[in-house]
Amino acid sequence: MLKIECPWCGPRHETEFRYGGEAHRVRPEKPDSLTDEAWAAFLFMRTNTKGAFAERWCHVNGCRRWFNVLRHTVSHEILAVYAMGEVPPVPGARKEGGQ
Amino acid sequence: MAKYENWLSPVAALAPSFPQGLEALPFCAQVNLRGNPGDPEFMSRVKGELGFALPTVPNTVAGRKKCRALWLGPDEWLIVEEGDARFRDAPEGALAAQLEQALEGLHHAVTDVSANRIRLELSGPEVRTVLMKSCELDCHPAVFRPGQVAQTLLAKAQVILEKPAEDRVHLYVRNSFALYVAEWLVDAFRYSGE
Ligand SMILES: [Zn+2]
Repeated sequence: MLKIECPWCGPRHETEFRYGGEAHRVRPEKPDSLTDEAWAAFLFMRTNTKGAFAERWCHVNGCRRWFNVLRHTVSHEILAVYAMGEVPPVPGARKEGGQ
Repeated sequence: MAKYENWLSPVAALAPSFPQGLEALPFCAQVNLRGNPGDPEFMSRVKGELGFALPTVPNTVAGRKKCRALWLGPDEWLIVEEGDARFRDAPEGALAAQLEQALEGLHHAVTDVSANRIRLELSGPEVRTVLMKSCELDCHPAVFRPGQVAQTLLAKAQVILEKPAEDRVHLYVRNSFALYVAEWLVDAFRYSGE
């Protein structure tokens, strides 16, 4: 079980949160103009990172706010917690808006 | 007609057999308020209506003994009024209506949630033990302190825990979960301290 630091409420147990998948994915501006392959890539393909991974979490059973977490997918160590819209604070992580 | 006279609590039948330390609190006015705490006009109009400032520190409670604002999120509060002198003569639903009127023209949301949750009071030396058996919140007195509020899961049900004093906690739970949570607490009290 993870102990996650909500930016508002402080450290809380994992059961209070809901996972929101990979962070910093940008929805294509004109999905109509994409090929089926490109649209499917946006919808279904994720990076499946081994190491530091930026992901979204929501404190659904607490303050109900979304935020980003940088988590090591092997050790589960939480390397950083940061606000929606912010760039991951640790070098080597995926950059904001990177596609 | 007295306020909330026709309301029936889902724990009414169980309440007479509650153990010492567990009590059902009477119905009261509860209003969910949303707005931008960075907007001085919003904050001052709410203060003008309630007579105190909304708390902006996460997980804290502000106000008077019988009219308080519980921090629920960075732009969300629960206003609880249980017979406060300022609102005592106001009819059912008046607090929400007055807040709505005071905030007219501003970006905000006022929702009367008085019937959404019932309230239970846990008191006495077993409170911390009972909470520790029931939820994963850190209940250490140095972490969860008097004057604070926490939203968490208690026996898997969403609850709000308000701590007015050491050894005393008000628990807010949705009507549909109330009987289940009350039964859980009756059981938790039974086995604590043995
Ligand atoms: Zn939170």
